[in-house]
Parts: sequence; structure tokens; C-alpha cells
Amino acid sequence: MNKTFDRIATLTFLAIGVLFMIGSLRISKSAYGSVVGPNVFPFLLGLILVLLSVKLLFETMRYRSTHGEKQRLQYKKFWTIFISSIFYAILLEPIGYVITTFLFLIIGFQTMEKGSIWKSIIIAACFSLGVYGLYVKMLQGTLPSWPIWLR
Amino acid sequence: MTFLLDGFQTALQLHNLFFAFLGVLIGTAVGVLPGIGPMSGVALLIPVTASMTSGFEPAQAATSSIILLAGVYYGAMYGGSTTSILLNTPGESSSVVTALDGYQMAKQGRAGSALAIAAIGSFAAGIVSLIALVLLAEPLSNVALKFGPAEYFSLMILGLAAVSGLAGNSMTKAWMMTVFGLLLSTIGLDSVSGVERFTYNISFLYGGLEFLTVAVGLFALGEVFKAILHKEQNNDRIAKIGRIIPAKEELKESAGPIARGSLLGFLVGILPGAGATLASFFSYMLEKKISKHPEKFGKGTIAGVAAPESANNAASGGAMIPLLTLGIPGSGTTAILMGALMMYNVQPGPLLFDEHPDVAWGLIASMFIGNVMLLILNMPLVKIFAKIIETPPKYLLPLIIAISIFGVYAVQVTTFDIFLLLGFGVLGYLLATNDFPLAPLVLGLVLGPMIENNMRRALTASNGDFFVFIEKPISFVLLIAAILWIAIPFLMKLKGKSVIVNEDM
Repeated sequence: MNKTFDRIATLTFLAIGVLFMIGSLRISKSAYGSVVGPNVFPFLLGLILVLLSVKLLFETMRYRSTHGEKQRLQYKKFWTIFISSIFYAILLEPIGYVITTFLFLIIGFQTMEKGSIWKSIIIAACFSLGVYGLYVKMLQGTLPSWPIWLR
Repeated sequence: MTFLLDGFQTALQLHNLFFAFLGVLIGTAVGVLPGIGPMSGVALLIPVTASMTSGFEPAQAATSSIILLAGVYYGAMYGGSTTSILLNTPGESSSVVTALDGYQMAKQGRAGSALAIAAIGSFAAGIVSLIALVLLAEPLSNVALKFGPAEYFSLMILGLAAVSGLAGNSMTKAWMMTVFGLLLSTIGLDSVSGVERFTYNISFLYGGLEFLTVAVGLFALGEVFKAILHKEQNNDRIAKIGRIIPAKEELKESAGPIARGSLLGFLVGILPGAGATLASFFSYMLEKKISKHPEKFGKGTIAGVAAPESANNAASGGAMIPLLTLGIPGSGTTAILMGALMMYNVQPGPLLFDEHPDVAWGLIASMFIGNVMLLILNMPLVKIFAKIIETPPKYLLPLIIAISIFGVYAVQVTTFDIFLLLGFGVLGYLLATNDFPLAPLVLGLVLGPMIENNMRRALTASNGDFFVFIEKPISFVLLIAAILWIAIPFLMKLKGKSVIVNEDM
């Protein structure tokens, strides 16, 4: 168990609970002849979340952190892939599904393990073109198509 | 019975046979691949099935999709045994116990018979639990039809209490996740009054957080991120499979464990919160206790494979009962199935059998067919499935991300949901690696609107008097049961007994 994370998480959830309580006070209380408006349920839940967070905060003070062997995490790989997926999402609509997916997969494959570039290119091309062909051409779904300068 | 025959008629339609086949095939692959469990597998396939069935009529689309998704669910239970036996690394948590004896058998060159017995046991258990499901479905949904809003509210509280009480190591954390899920479900337009809540004028939020986005993010992406960050070296050699047909005495030896495992698994499966993992664990303990040679367990006895594999499959059948008849999912995976049904405007619960008999009975009938398919698939093809284990994560992980993003975009058609998806992926990774269980969160998200509506209807009828939940006898009993469910493990912990918890459902 990781004490630091538990503390941060507890405080975050405490804040979320409080914010939901404050937020629910601002919801209009109109209830159309009923005593229970749309604000009651979220308010109660926020309150319970706050109480539970306080309980967990006390619990984190009691137990001792059990630090096992710290595994070295692959932060570099993770961030490369995560940031490229954010760019994937941003660029999806401007330059289309096939190009973005192809590029994302190449970056992803090569980040996981360098080498065999041709195999990566083939798999990425098959997936991006395959999904686009199947979904858009056969099933008539909508995906952002090619960018304007290519059409 | 006529309903069941109608169900078979639905399930035997060519496209539904195809969907069932695809479901069990993908399910087996999901079970075999380490890193993707049944939960992320089902979540990942919701958008894919949604796009495949987009040309169908609504009711038909719902039937076909749920047939495929349920196929993934019980197919994964079959597939999970393969890696346990061949590699000693369980593909999903309900096969952990199988590895104890299965891997020993594989080391002795008996991997083939272990795999075969696992398949046969799973098949027998699947059939047993389905027969029970058929027998129990009508009476149970008739009882549930008499429930009013107050009873429903209490029933759902019981469901939440059961799942939260058994999930993970810390009950406080499980409850926090449940409440957080319920809170997230309040975002969007209020369904009773039409007032907007917590949307802050962001138009994407008016419809609420899409269940699909949250589930795929938390489970599928969360697990992918974990696999990227904690790179695991898997240098174990895969055991040779050898002869597949089990010997006569092995069949005879495992008949008893399969029968007991099926029954026990089914009963455990019905209980909300206790999923396939607990079922397989209990049945292994039971076999060890009543066996004449308990010392053989852990050294490669066939009963140690047959019992847990039957139990976890029977449990997945049993878990369908509260889902279909009461509309209460008892585990993370069934919560995702329920979310999928609700995407098609099909509300699981007692009315399901009246309003959508084709969906309910078609699903049940398709599970019979799917189990037969799995048996046929798994006996000769087990060697091919064993090859899937060798899929390099280099290609698998980026592809899962790409499939998730495609799926969410195909259904939602906004990039906002892709960002939400990535955010929930990170959240899922952080929470899961720090012992915050994710199943209660999803359960809260799915049940939230129903709990709130029933609570408000009950309170409106009683003019805001909260005692209405205690005054109605059924509701009172359900609430007491919920309290006991939380209190008993707590008291046992105080007494110093260790309580078995479901790490992952």
C-alpha cells in the first residue's frame, strides 16, 4: 500500500465531495409538487463521500506503509504513448482517421520495442485501412475521412 | 417452455449464430491473453458490436449485441484456464486456483487432459447453470414485479453493499468508489425535472458521462497503461500439450468434482458481490476437504482442475440471474453487460421477460448454443489458442488503445469523449494499482439513476418521509440484509479472522 497516494487520493475525494455538496446547493429546487428535488440525492452522496474520506484519512494514519521492492516503472514509454494518444485525439478530426491511426500505431509499436519497422508499418497500415474500409465503406459509419488536400 | 423454444428460434437465426460464435471466439482469446480480463474485453467490444449492429432494428440489435457480449463473458472463463495450465500465469483472476494443479499436470506431460477436463467441466457447469437460470427466471421476476419504488431502492442498496463489502482489501475504499460512481451518475440533465446538474454549461455533459467511455477508459485503457508501466518479462516456456483426449479413469475421477463445482459455483454466482473468483476458490477448498487423498492437491490432481473450472463457469451463469430478473448486476462484468443493454434502451429487470422476451430468452438460448460451440472449439483448437499467448505486447497494447479510441469515437462522434476516455484510463490505472477497486465505481455509475429515481418516487409517495424504507416489510428486510452484509465481515475481521475478498471481478 502506498501511503502518499492514499493521502492525496483521500484529500481529492474529500474535495470532490465538498464541491458536489456546494454544487448541489446551487441546483434549483423546483420539484413539481414533490418535496424531494433534484438536489437531494447528490447532496447526500457528497456528504457520504466526505465522511468516508475522513474515515480513510484516519485509517491511513494507522497503518504502516508496506513498501515492497519498488519496481522501476517505464515512465518514458508511458508518457510517449500517452502524449501521442492525446495528439491522436486532437488531430483525428482535422487530418482524418486513417493517417492519424497509422501514425499513432507506428509510434506506439516503436516505443514499445524498437526494430522490425516494416512489420510495424504493415500491421499499422492493415489496421487503419481495414477499420476504415470495414466501418465506413461496408457498415456506412462515420469517421473523419481524408484531409481536404488529399481528396 | 414455449418461451425457451422461441428463444432458440431467435438464437438459431443465422446472424445470431454468427454473433454467438464471434463472441465465444473473442472471449476465449480474451481469456487466454494475459492482461485483458473479461471486464475490459466486454467493455472494449461494446462499441464494436454497436457499430456492427447499427443496420439492425433496435430490438434485434440489442439481442445480437448482448449475445455477442455474453459470449465474450463466458468464453473468457474457458480461455482463462489455458494460460493457467500451460504457463502458470492465469489469464484472469478466476483461474488462479486452476494454476495450482493445472500447471503441475502440465509439467508431468498431462497438459492435454487438464485442458480437456477444464473444457468439459466448463461445459457441464454452463449447462447446469443455464437450466437453473431457466427454472428460476420466471418465478423470480414475478416476485420482483410486486416491488414498489421503496423495495427497489432497498434491493439496489443491498446490491451495492454486497459488491462493496467483498471488493478489494479496504472496505472504506470500496465504498468511496461506489459513492464516487453514484455521484458521477448525477452529472447531466436530471431525468425527473429536466434541471441541469454539474454541467457548467459544457454541452457535451448534458447527456451525462457516457457509461461506455468511462468503462472502456477505466478497464481497457487502465490495464493497458499498467502493462506499459510495469513491463513484465515472460520467459516461461509453454508446456507441451500432448494427448488431448482424457483417459477414462480421469473422466471418472473428475465427474464428482465437476458436479459439485457446478452447483457450488452457481450458488455463489447468484449472490451479488461474490463472483467467479470466489466460486473457484471455494470449490477447490471443498474438494480438498472431502477428498480421500488431500495430499495430492497441488501436485497435479485432476480434481483440482475440474472443480474450480466448473465453478467459475457456473458462477458466470449464476450471475446472469440477478442481472436479468432483478436488474441488479452482481459484479463488474455484469454491470458492464447491463450498461450495454441500457444503451439499447433495454432495461434489465422483471419487466425484461414481458417487454423484451426475445432479448431475454434469445440470450439464454444462445448461451446453450455458445457453450456447445466452446466445447467444440476448445477441444481441437486448444493448440491454436495456446499460440495466442505468444502475441507480443509490442503490437497488442497500442492496438488496444487504437481500438478503444475507435470504439468511443464511433459511438459518440466527439473528440471530447476521447479525452474523457484517456483521463479515465489514467484514473483507472492510479486507482486500481492503489487498491481502490473499480467494479463498485462502475456499479454505482450504472445503478445511480435507478437508485435516485426509485428513492425520489418512494419519497414523493410518502411526502418526504424517509421512514418509508423501513415501514415497508420487504424493503426493511432487504436493508437489514444489506447492513448484515457489511457488518459480518467487519465483525469477523475484528475477531482476527481473515476474510476472503474478491480482488478482481
